[in-house]
Amino acid sequence: MTKLLAVVKREYTQRVFSRMFIVTTVLLPFAMALFGIAPALVMSIEAGNPLRIVVMDGTGKLFGRLQGSLRNENEKPSDEVTPGTKNNAIEKAREQSFILEEAPMQGRSESEINAELARRLSQKEIDAYLILPANLLQSGKAQLFRRNTSDLFSTRRIQSALDAAIREQRLMDAHVDSKTMSDLARPVDFETTRISGSSSERDSGGGFALVFVVGFVMYISVLLYGQVVLGAVIEEKETRIAEVLFSSVRPFTLMMGKLLGVSLVALTQLTIWGLAFGAFGLYGVSLLASKGIPAAIPTVSPVLYLYFVLFFLSGYFVYSTLYALVGSIVTTSQEGGQLAMPIIILLVISFYLFLPVSRNPDSTLSFWLSMIPFFSPVSMLVRIVTQTPPFWQIALSLLIGFSSAAGLTWVSARIYRIGMLMYGKRPTIPELMRWVRQS
Amino acid sequence: MTNNEITVKVEHVTKTFGDFTAVQDLSMSVRAGRIFGLLGPNGAGKSTSIRMVVNITAPDSGTIELFGRKIDNQLQDRIGYLPEERGLYKSMKVVDQLRFFAALKNVKGKDADVRIDRWLARLKLSEWKQKKTRELSKGMQQKIQFISAVLHEPDLLILDEPFSGLDPVNVELLKDVVLELKHAGKTIIFSTHLMDIAEKICDDICLLNRSEKVLEGSIREVKSSFGRNSVALRIEGSNGTLASSTLISKVEHHSDEMEVLLVADADAQEFLQQLIASGARVTKFEMIEPSLNDIFIEKVSEAQ
Repeated sequence: MTKLLAVVKREYTQRVFSRMFIVTTVLLPFAMALFGIAPALVMSIEAGNPLRIVVMDGTGKLFGRLQGSLRNENEKPSDEVTPGTKNNAIEKAREQSFILEEAPMQGRSESEINAELARRLSQKEIDAYLILPANLLQSGKAQLFRRNTSDLFSTRRIQSALDAAIREQRLMDAHVDSKTMSDLARPVDFETTRISGSSSERDSGGGFALVFVVGFVMYISVLLYGQVVLGAVIEEKETRIAEVLFSSVRPFTLMMGKLLGVSLVALTQLTIWGLAFGAFGLYGVSLLASKGIPAAIPTVSPVLYLYFVLFFLSGYFVYSTLYALVGSIVTTSQEGGQLAMPIIILLVISFYLFLPVSRNPDSTLSFWLSMIPFFSPVSMLVRIVTQTPPFWQIALSLLIGFSSAAGLTWVSARIYRIGMLMYGKRPTIPELMRWVRQS
Repeated sequence: MTNNEITVKVEHVTKTFGDFTAVQDLSMSVRAGRIFGLLGPNGAGKSTSIRMVVNITAPDSGTIELFGRKIDNQLQDRIGYLPEERGLYKSMKVVDQLRFFAALKNVKGKDADVRIDRWLARLKLSEWKQKKTRELSKGMQQKIQFISAVLHEPDLLILDEPFSGLDPVNVELLKDVVLELKHAGKTIIFSTHLMDIAEKICDDICLLNRSEKVLEGSIREVKSSFGRNSVALRIEGSNGTLASSTLISKVEHHSDEMEVLLVADADAQEFLQQLIASGARVTKFEMIEPSLNDIFIEKVSEAQ
């Protein structure tokens, strides 16, 4: 027991005070924030200059409607459905206005105007021009000319505004009055409410973000710390420390000490993240709000933290025992990286399964996924966040998870004790089986 | 400490890896308070035998007893082991590393720190205490590894090629330490293929070749059993005896002396008397002992 503690202590102190630990602790939340905010920030930067568009309206009826339609869209109130930091910033980006100018026909032909507009475009007097032929309302084709065709965002908006303008004009031509028209076009009022137990809260769109963050943090933590275990085992094998250690501790003690020590490092890091997230929820949001940046952080119940830790531990022990097994049968870290690929693939699959599970957390598929120890950490947590399953399911999932971890530990330990002293040729699967059976 | 207490008793031990037999029916006894040399060419099975004594691997058959008990994990704490392949944590400080190895042998706290300081001073490494292992030279790392094997004051110390990679000064230093430990009553198993060092410090030896024991015993016994019965001789005067004596089987002439190989059961004393009686003036008459190296080469090539 004292020897186990010695191994745990070494593993913990060597890692918590390492540069890598400090860097990842700071970097990961930062990176996630960056991924969340960056797209909005980038778009708001682009929003600076309005797009100058000249419209040649061959029909003579559409320019006014198009202008109205584009302006209307900017003010559309129904976009409020999804606020939250990210979406708000995107909304701001959308306010990128268009400056529309009608090209006077003055009896000139279409191609004359086209040529003149092309010249203005190339001289950068304007950013785009739109040709609406006279027969557009019946059969013609509208053409947009731009210098920058990769800005799909604006292009799509112009297209939809034009769509709306043409639809209105056609309705008008069919003698539909404007009252009926606006009734037809009124968007539906839509609101999502999450019911859990007795309380119900209005989903602010942060729900999905939470599912994603929880799933992602779970995945990345298990992956990260599994790799740490792999590295630690390979280090001891590569440097041949294992033999010295085995003259003092039993292989099982050494392996367990390693797994426990690294798990404590992981819990330390998760606690720091949890506290940082909590602190941000308490102070950061109001601080941002006072500066005019509306940020919504979904409320996270303390129970979720507890479940996160429990499922993290279950996933960590399931995967890291496999990593330890792989580490013990290879000789170099490159070889270890190759052999660990199947484990990583399994982990990546478990992460992407958050999509079907979050879409349908109560389905049979979700149930079974959350019972398979390789997938349960992400799947069950996503279920808990989206639509908390009955407690017995959570308990059963944890029970299966921890029992599998114990079973895998047993198998890995038996391979580990022999593998750590074997160099050269990698053992075949039948050999591994024999090692497991050998007393 | 002169007794016949047996520290390690290996009986009929066999170890195979797949279809390769690393150790075949090995029996040997290591007496307490002595230095036991486990000798043999590379791949003879020395390291495998040692691993079994340290209880890192288990024999397929046969028994190993330590201090009169069947080997188990508790007994591991009374062994200090310096494996052939050295291993230290590269990015750990020397002192942290030694504390960790001490803790694994249940030596902790102040006690461990005192011993660490004492040993670092003894091996002239005190100024490196706070340095990371990777900053140390190979020889220094080896001495650190040695310290990690003796910190817990083991009753049995097992050194697998302890001098490889050390400069002559450090070889002397470490040799002195090993002899000190012997005088303190520790039992030492010393594995090497370097016969000159083994000859200088071992009391008993066991020679392995191709997984099997070739010979075992005290250096004295082994050497006398190998006595080729030859004499290094320098004489002035009569050479007649050399030609006529029935005791001689062969004479080899070197620069200023000759080596005389006597017949199998001849008594060297009798030969000396013959020489003197013949009126020769004997300026050198020395029984030639085979060196451990000669025995090693003879035994190993015999088997091939």
